[in-house]
Amino acid sequence: MRVRALRPRWRVAAPLSLFLSAALLAGCADDPPAPPTATASPVTLTNCGEPVEVARPPRRAVTTNQAATEIMLALGLADRMVGTAYLDDQILPGYADAYAKVPVLAEEYPSKEKLLEAEPDFVYASYASAFGDEGVGDRAALGTLGVGTYLSPAGCAKEFRPARLTVDDVFAEIRDIGAIFGVPDRAAALVADHKARIAAAAETVSGAKDVHVLWWDGGTDAPSVGACCGSPGMIMSAVGVTNDFADLDGSWTETGWETVVERDPDVIVLVDASWDPAAGKQAFLAKNATLKDLPAVVGQRYVTIPFSATSAGVRVVLGVEALAEGVAALPATASR
Amino acid sequence: MPRDATVTVGLAGALVLSVAVTVTIGPADLSLGTVWTVIGDHLGLTSAGVPLLRDHIVWQLRLPRVLGAAAVGAGLAVAGAVMQTVTRNPLADPYLLGLSSGASLGAVLVIVAGLGAGVGALAGGAFLGALAAFALVIGVASRQATLTPTRTVLAGVAVAQLCAAVTSFVIIWVNEPHATQSITFWLSGSLARVDWTALTYAGPALAAVLAVVLAHARALNAFAFGEEAAATLGIAVTRVRWTLLVAVSLLTAALVAVSGAIGFVGLILPHAARFLTGADHRRLLPVAALSGAVFLVWVDTAARALFDPRELPAGVLTAMIGVPAFVILLRRREVRG
Repeated sequence: MRVRALRPRWRVAAPLSLFLSAALLAGCADDPPAPPTATASPVTLTNCGEPVEVARPPRRAVTTNQAATEIMLALGLADRMVGTAYLDDQILPGYADAYAKVPVLAEEYPSKEKLLEAEPDFVYASYASAFGDEGVGDRAALGTLGVGTYLSPAGCAKEFRPARLTVDDVFAEIRDIGAIFGVPDRAAALVADHKARIAAAAETVSGAKDVHVLWWDGGTDAPSVGACCGSPGMIMSAVGVTNDFADLDGSWTETGWETVVERDPDVIVLVDASWDPAAGKQAFLAKNATLKDLPAVVGQRYVTIPFSATSAGVRVVLGVEALAEGVAALPATASR
Repeated sequence: MPRDATVTVGLAGALVLSVAVTVTIGPADLSLGTVWTVIGDHLGLTSAGVPLLRDHIVWQLRLPRVLGAAAVGAGLAVAGAVMQTVTRNPLADPYLLGLSSGASLGAVLVIVAGLGAGVGALAGGAFLGALAAFALVIGVASRQATLTPTRTVLAGVAVAQLCAAVTSFVIIWVNEPHATQSITFWLSGSLARVDWTALTYAGPALAAVLAVVLAHARALNAFAFGEEAAATLGIAVTRVRWTLLVAVSLLTAALVAVSGAIGFVGLILPHAARFLTGADHRRLLPVAALSGAVFLVWVDTAARALFDPRELPAGVLTAMIGVPAFVILLRRREVRG
C-alpha cells in the first residue's frame, strides 16, 4: 500500500515554520472550524502537523490520487482545478463529465516541472508519496513557491494520522477542503448526505455485531487482511460487523491461513481489483485443500467489494453500502 | 570417528524430535492430543476423527510446511557445502550462479503479467527463471567445455546483477503497490506456500541430488586440495565439476521455486557443519543436511508462531536467529577446514 510508504517529513524551513507557528497560534490547533460564509476570508488549519494557511480560496488547484480528485469533484470544484493525476480506477460516473474538463497532467505522479507548468496555487493529494521523490516534491518546497498543499489525514505520517481511521476522519477532510475552497456549505451538505446513507445502510444488517468478517485484500502465501486501523477496518465498523482481524495493527496486514482457519469467519470479503480479481480469489479458496472446507467457503458466504471503495474519500459510503448490502443478502448464519 | 557418528546420529534424532514438536506449535490453539490424533488418523494408526478444519490445520497446513522446511534447509545446506568446495570459495552459496536472482525475476514476471496468483504459476516461473539464469551463467563461463571456478563465479555474479536490475526495472515500471507487496513477501523467502504437491517434487529432487553428491564425497575431498591435486588423485576434474554444479543448481532451482530465496542457510550452515565434523565430505554432507533441516524447521516455526497473528517470511528471520548461534559456535570452536 502506498499508505505504508509514509515517511515523516521534517523539512519545513525554520523561519517559515516559525512564521507559520505564529499564524497557527492565532488560528486554531486541532479542529479547524469551517468559516461560516465569507469565501474571501483567510483559512488556517493544521494538516499532518503542518499549518496550512490559505489567504483566499485557491483557483488553480491540482489534485493527485483518486480520493482527492473525487472529493474536489463532489464539491463541485472542477472549475477551480487546472490538473489531476494518478487515478487507480475509473472516475465515478457522476463526476465523469466534470472530470473530462480538467487536464490530466500525468498517468501517475507528474514530475515537479510538469506540475509547475500548470501554474497551480494549490496541490491536494491523498497519499504521502505524492509529496515524495517520486511525486511533485515536498510540501515545504512547494510552500516557498507560494503553492499551498493539503494531504489526506489518512496519508499523514504516523504521528499525525488518526490512530484508527473512522468515517468522521474522512468527513473532516471533506470539511477541510470545503473550508479551504470557500464552499463550507457544500461540504456540510455532502457530509450530511453520506452520514445519512451510512446510517441507513448499517440499519439493514440485523445482528451485525455477531457477523465475523475476514476482509481478504490479496496474497495467497500469506493473506493480506483488513486490520484494525485503515479503510477496511473503518468500513467494517461503520457497518457494525465484527472484524475478525481487528487485533492486527495497520491498515492491511499479513497473517497466516492457519489463523484464518482458527478464527473461522462467517463472511469473507473478496476485494476485487484489476490486478487481483475477486473471481480469482474465489477460485483459489475453492481449490485450496484446507480452505475449501471453511464454512464460509462451503456456504459461498462472500461479499465482493471493489478495491477503489477503500479509497478514503467519497467512495467510503459506497464501500459501506456494498458491505451492508452483501452481508444482508446472505442467509442468516448459525450464531456462535 | 565415533564422535562424528555421534554428531550425525544426534542430529538425526534432533530432526525427528524437532518435526514432532514443531508440528504442535502454531497460531491455532490445538492440543498435543489433537495434533497427534490427526497424524495418527492419516497414517491409519488411529481412527478417532477430529473436526475437519482442525484436521486440515495439522495435515494440510502444518505438517507439509514443517517437512518442507526440513527439505529446504537440508537441500540449501548441502548445495552450499558443495558449491563452496567446487568453486573453492568460502563465500559461495547455493545461489552463487545467479539462481535466486533468476528465480526472482521469473516470479516477478509471473506476478506482474497476472498469470494468476496460483501457486503453481509462481513456482513454475521461479523454476524456469532459475534455470534460465543458470544456463546463461554456464554459457558465459564455459569455454571449450571447460569450466574454471573463477570464470563461473564471475559469470554468476554478472548474471545475478543483470537479473536483479531487470527485476527492479519491472517492479518500478509496473508501479503496482499490490503486486510489489506480494513480490516482497516472495523475495524474502517463505515456506508458507509449501503443500503436499510442492513436497512431491522437492522431496525426490532432494533425495536424488543427495545421492549424487554423496557418491562424489571422496572427489569433493580431493577438490579441497585444488584441481591439480584432484587430477593427480585420478579425479576427472571437469566432469565431476560439471556434474556437481548442475546437480546442486537443479536442486536449488527446485527449492527456490518452493520457498523463494532463503538466505543464510546455504552460506553459513556448511561452515557450522565443518566446525562440528571437520572437512571430510563423507561426514560433512550428512551433518550439513541434518543441521540445515533442524535449523530451518525451527526458524520457520518462529516465523509463523512468534508474532501470531501476524506471519513473517522465514527468510527475514534466518540470519537474525542464525547469526547469534553461529557466533557462539565460532567462539567455541577453532576454525577447521
